[in-house]
Amino acid sequence: MRPKFRVLGAITLLFSAVASVLLLSGCRKAGAVLKPDQAFGFYDTEADWNDATKVINLGYQESQGKRVFYQYCVWCHADATPAGPSNRSNLTPVPPLLNDGEKLNRDSDEYLENIITLGGSALGKSAMMPPYGQTLSAEDIKAAIAFTRAIAQPAYQKPVRPGPAYAAKP
Amino acid sequence: MPAEAQQMGKLSPRLRLTFAVATVVCVLALAISPVKDYRAEWKHYKRWFVKYAQGRPDTKRLLADYSPSIDQVWLPGMNVTDRCTTCHQGITQSSLADSTVPQPFRAHPPVPHNVRQWGCTLCHRGQGLATEVPEAHETTLAWEQPILPARFLQASCGSCHQADLIETPQLARGRELLVHLNCQGCHKLSNLNRAALGPDLSSVGYKVTREWIYKWLKEPRTVVDKDGNATVNGYENESEPRMPKFRLTDDEIKELSGFLSVQKAKPIERYKISPLVVAAWTRNPDLLAQGELRFRQMMCTTCHSLAVTRAGESKMIGGDIGTELTKVGSKVNEEWLIAWLWNPKSYLEHSNMPRYGWSDEDLYKVSQYIMNKLTDSDLLTNVPQLGAPTEAEISAGKRLFAEKGCAGCHALNGIAPQKDFGPDLTALGAKNASELEFSKAKIQHDLVSYIQAKLQDPVSVNPAARMPQYNWEPADLDAVTTALLSQTGPAATSTLQRLVVPRKEASFQPVGAFAQVYERYKCYACHRFNGFGGTLAPDLSYEGSRAQRKWIADFLKNPQTIRPTLILRMPQFNMSDQDAEIAAEYLSLAVQNSEVNPQSVDARQFTPAMVSLGQQLYEVKYQCQSCHTIGGTGGYVGPNLNNAGNWLTPAWIEAWLRNPQALRPDSIEPRRNFTDEEVRALTAYLMTLRAGITPQTTKSAANRPVLTQGAGR
Repeated sequence: MRPKFRVLGAITLLFSAVASVLLLSGCRKAGAVLKPDQAFGFYDTEADWNDATKVINLGYQESQGKRVFYQYCVWCHADATPAGPSNRSNLTPVPPLLNDGEKLNRDSDEYLENIITLGGSALGKSAMMPPYGQTLSAEDIKAAIAFTRAIAQPAYQKPVRPGPAYAAKP
Repeated sequence: MPAEAQQMGKLSPRLRLTFAVATVVCVLALAISPVKDYRAEWKHYKRWFVKYAQGRPDTKRLLADYSPSIDQVWLPGMNVTDRCTTCHQGITQSSLADSTVPQPFRAHPPVPHNVRQWGCTLCHRGQGLATEVPEAHETTLAWEQPILPARFLQASCGSCHQADLIETPQLARGRELLVHLNCQGCHKLSNLNRAALGPDLSSVGYKVTREWIYKWLKEPRTVVDKDGNATVNGYENESEPRMPKFRLTDDEIKELSGFLSVQKAKPIERYKISPLVVAAWTRNPDLLAQGELRFRQMMCTTCHSLAVTRAGESKMIGGDIGTELTKVGSKVNEEWLIAWLWNPKSYLEHSNMPRYGWSDEDLYKVSQYIMNKLTDSDLLTNVPQLGAPTEAEISAGKRLFAEKGCAGCHALNGIAPQKDFGPDLTALGAKNASELEFSKAKIQHDLVSYIQAKLQDPVSVNPAARMPQYNWEPADLDAVTTALLSQTGPAATSTLQRLVVPRKEASFQPVGAFAQVYERYKCYACHRFNGFGGTLAPDLSYEGSRAQRKWIADFLKNPQTIRPTLILRMPQFNMSDQDAEIAAEYLSLAVQNSEVNPQSVDARQFTPAMVSLGQQLYEVKYQCQSCHTIGGTGGYVGPNLNNAGNWLTPAWIEAWLRNPQALRPDSIEPRRNFTDEEVRALTAYLMTLRAGITPQTTKSAANRPVLTQGAGR
């Protein structure tokens, strides 16, 4: 009797240990998802130009665009500037506000890149828009466009690219 | 024997079963390890990435470096072993930059430091070695360094870049605030400029009353209620007083105000305004209006702010270099004010206030305006009658002055600031949560929450805190937090130490006769010379290459706004001809840029044909009028060019047209592809613009603009 119990006991112990380890390892969720705001959130913010109570979160590139915008572009592409009055009303044709989605959402990133780099006259637009290709880096120009897209009202929708639909999370 | 052997080989059925079960159990137990391994979190992301890449057109490129094992960036010299790329597999794939790409596969935005050379944790913090999501990103019991939230990320730039970068405006603002608020008065901090101190109080008894000191200590900052009524001295805005609120009892305030009101180390150097002037003006009903006019004409508001009510809304106008003056008439006594305006240095050696050239008439008018108009009769109504302080109050006040750390910001005869009054913060940004004291504060136990709670309410995390109460705009709170997080102490390894970009100590000490002019008018309070000085007004490091000597002298005597949008303007110092000549001579000869060669352009060779071509280029081809004004029309962005021919040197214009950023890196004027002919034509045209806003002959009284009226010396 005794040895039989011993063997059975050992088997039961071993089994329960294995089962518990298996259970435990099965318990953990595969791929715990971190709340995005918790760690990364946003790099900077910009108040919505049309509604100051709304805050738009900016990523890294957009916030670099914000810096470029407030140094170089704000003077003609906004109605209020850090120095007070805006130059926008002095110009004909009137330059678009940077958050003017109605106007700018229609233009592709490539077109905006070209007009900033080469200036208005190179694209058959007003020569009052000077070329910034030798003053700003390509990265800065891309960032400024990303900022435009972020603050656009109505919101900017990225054009759907051709090709197979990208796989979602399995 | 055979029977025995047979007996031995034959197991009982029960034992057989036992063996069978044990074998299965053993096999299962052995299987645990591979199963666990297969189910590891990082492998899940590895498999997901393969599936994700296969669903995209650029599969081949995305999976070019794929390996099913753990990836890591190992940089022993920098103490970096980052396994983040095990899950963040698309981090260097430019085609995955789009925000529709699911995390953790999204590409890193383009930054100057790439992942392969720098790793991840140097900037983002977190645990580089961990391969599980919470351990890598959050604070756990074993790992104390969580990921730095993105909005404070510039702190990591600041750990190595001790000099400010244009890409990190938030960090720069935070450092500026640490200097502006003189946090170094009590705390040890590294890589900051020397702070501007609060006023020396050695003779404050001559300046203000005990009652005013009482009020100031009780409520140094102003609260504007929802109707816009300012209830105390000062206004809640960016030009708030730098003095924070200390938690003092009424008795302590009485003692401190008593002690300060008897500080009379050095008598005022009284200035006596001619009795004739006083007699002529004292009964003039126009006195205060005239005083206000002069106050405005001299542009006191370039440095000092005033609260004004416009359309029922109270707001501040003016600069924040000097103190706010809305109620200063109820603060200082008249004798002190006149002596101060006459010669600020006689009262305060370290003051940034320039010494104006006053006529008795102006001094009387302006001082009467300040004493009678910039007042608030209710200012001291809630202050008890204090009378002369007793000996006991004075000695208690003296003790409090040292105990509360007043000496950290204010010099006072005989009281030396205590060394290391507040904690050393040079390594605050590298602290783990377990090293911090949270007391009973109901906040998350991490470094960022701790710093923000401490800044907003020092006693919330430490009931015995001596730190005073500050009042932060949300953006400023984040900026200061970022700057404090960047104080991470000495570099962890010698490789990192070599990568540190040190902060340059700038200074500018002119020599000769100009040194006195420079000190008297405090040019450096607003202007910058070779990296030293204020940022309010244009950088004058190359002024000698830019402006013509005669123009500089004329401008100093009668400053005008060159940039149409500027509200703040250079004050009217009533500078003497001699001082203006000394300054013009020094600036035109000593501060030049080697990029600008005065011999490169000969203005005598400009022809009318060049001028007309230049005008055509200006108006039609390049449409410079979109930013610059000539003759009353044009844009507000660049400087007014009405008087360019008298103002700028031809060599500067030419060099500027070729490459503005070579002369001034932060200039917003874009660099264009002008041909040599176009540059010369534009220069020729601009040199003809002499329709001056600066009078040609300032000595002729008839030509003097209204602004200098009554400024006789």
